[in-house]
Amino acid sequence: MKTRPFLALFVSPAALAALALVGALAAILQYAFRAFVPGSMEPGGLTLANFEALLRPLYAGVFLQTVWICLITALVTLVVAYPLAYAIVRSRSVTLKSFLLITALTPMFLGEVVRTYSWIIVLGNSGFINSVLRGLGLIERPIQLMFTTTGVVIALVHVTLPIMTIMLAAALSHIDAAYEKAATSLGAGPVRVFLTVTLPLSMPGIVAGVTTAFAWTFSAFATPQMIGGGRVPMVSTLIYQLGFASFNFPFAAALSVTGLALTFAVLALAKAALSPLERMGAH
Amino acid sequence: MAAERLHTGTEAPAATSARVGVQIDGVTKKFGAFTALHEAWLKIEQGSFMTLLGPSGCGKTTLLNLLAGFLEANGGEIFVDGQLMTETPPYAREIGVVFQNYALFPHMSVEKNVGYGLAARGVPKREIASRVADMLALVKLSDFGHRKPKELSGGQQQRVALARALVIRPKLLLLDEPFSALDKNLRGAMQVEIKEIQRSLGVTTIFVTHDQSEALSMSDRIAVMSAGRIRQVGTPDEIYRRPTDRFVASFVGDVNVLPAKLERRLDDRASVMVGAVRVEVPAGTVDGLAPGAAVDLFVRPDALAIGEKGSGFPGTIAAHVYQGSHVDVLVDSPATTGGRLLVRVPGTQAPHRWPVGQAVGVTPTGDAVAFPPEAA
Repeated sequence: MKTRPFLALFVSPAALAALALVGALAAILQYAFRAFVPGSMEPGGLTLANFEALLRPLYAGVFLQTVWICLITALVTLVVAYPLAYAIVRSRSVTLKSFLLITALTPMFLGEVVRTYSWIIVLGNSGFINSVLRGLGLIERPIQLMFTTTGVVIALVHVTLPIMTIMLAAALSHIDAAYEKAATSLGAGPVRVFLTVTLPLSMPGIVAGVTTAFAWTFSAFATPQMIGGGRVPMVSTLIYQLGFASFNFPFAAALSVTGLALTFAVLALAKAALSPLERMGAH
Repeated sequence: MAAERLHTGTEAPAATSARVGVQIDGVTKKFGAFTALHEAWLKIEQGSFMTLLGPSGCGKTTLLNLLAGFLEANGGEIFVDGQLMTETPPYAREIGVVFQNYALFPHMSVEKNVGYGLAARGVPKREIASRVADMLALVKLSDFGHRKPKELSGGQQQRVALARALVIRPKLLLLDEPFSALDKNLRGAMQVEIKEIQRSLGVTTIFVTHDQSEALSMSDRIAVMSAGRIRQVGTPDEIYRRPTDRFVASFVGDVNVLPAKLERRLDDRASVMVGAVRVEVPAGTVDGLAPGAAVDLFVRPDALAIGEKGSGFPGTIAAHVYQGSHVDVLVDSPATTGGRLLVRVPGTQAPHRWPVGQAVGVTPTGDAVAFPPEAA
């Protein structure tokens, strides 16, 4: 066996970080099973009451709504990112490629708060979208986007766009352009080529992108908090309210643990459901 | 541009007799400032096998892509079976293509791959099944219909690619370096097989390759290309034995180059002198040169014979390369530009008759061609 002299040295920072993460998760896990003592920062004895409370319609509803928002966000992002990724991969012009890449990736470089504030300016009742639509005479009253699910989804799509674009572009760049040429020479028009060749072969990228976007959106906080303004409750904003407004740390911890478990469950489910599709693209 | 197109458009039917499968009229392709193809003119007989031969970057692949419709020409017209193709989108051209790496759809079975073109045409399912089965039988893959391409060997993949291209009954079959991914033994067998299938179906075929031996063995006619131009079009024998272009003579097959002087021209023959040895050549390639002008004489290794010292060009045997059916003998000789002549001696006796170090004379016995010397 080959000895790797620097292995221990290189692995130790990662091990330390992992250890800290495991420690934090363990702390949250034990908080989730402790009783809430109103008026005290210290949790009480062991209990399952926190998880029982989760089954109340109010909280269960927030979970369902969160899963729904994540799903819609992931699908809308897919539809927006696909043509973008395709153009980045297949464009012959280097200038166009760089322009599209920068446009697609910029959201990553903006801080979450800055980005969300920009969306408030765009989505507000006298914001960019509404002023333009009114200026064009298309609407008489402003469309309510702020504090709505639609507004939150729009802003969340912007958050997940870069990662989705990168994943799709990676998948598309692995598809030999000769496949599309071959299909074309055999008499398939552009739509047929896309549906029978490009789309199935990019399925691994689509599955990876959608599941990643789903997980990202599930944990997003600033966007639903600021755009939703408390009227679009998601698991993350609920955790914040319980933890930092009511100081109910045990219940907030239970929510976090359940959210994490739910994310894993949904990802596993998605993987199982999509694996036949994913195999389509296997080379 | 429009007027030009109208002009060639009215002329084309007269020029396109029933026997012309493909007609390429002054086709030019530029990539920015770089001209990949300079006004190519070519006529290909229906049902024949034409090879575009040349080194990489010579424009052969560009021409293939123009024919398939993957690229748009900057000028000129392409006709297939008398029909103007230039404005036809690639999916409506009815041209079958076998790609270099076959480009078999990895997510589809062999059957689905072969049936793809028929499904795209809306052919009924039962007819697709029977035509795919016929085609798989033709390429001897009847039992492989349900496999995925990656479960097949290279040779089998190539047959699937061929079946997929032929099942649509194309007017023209394009083969883009289809043998380069195969190992050498398989290559020869596949060449014979493809040639047989092509002949039995009578499909006009254009084969792109940089391999001169493939070109010589498979083609009815060869168009040798270099630097975006078609240099010579002819049968393999014409290309090999009577090249009309310096590039063609040196690219196709091995060749010895000997500095010589033009002696005189008589009708279509001319004679040149290599030292004191007189060699007859066709006059066409030395047109416009005065007697006494310097020329380069090109002689194939199989058009030279080794004899006793004192005859032909003087030389000394330097080495033997045993090739089974013949022996390549390297002869050090001041007569050639490189200082060393290559002589192909049939049989295996050469090393015994002409041992290394022996002084010999080398005589030209077959076709030779002279060209003006390369501009310095």
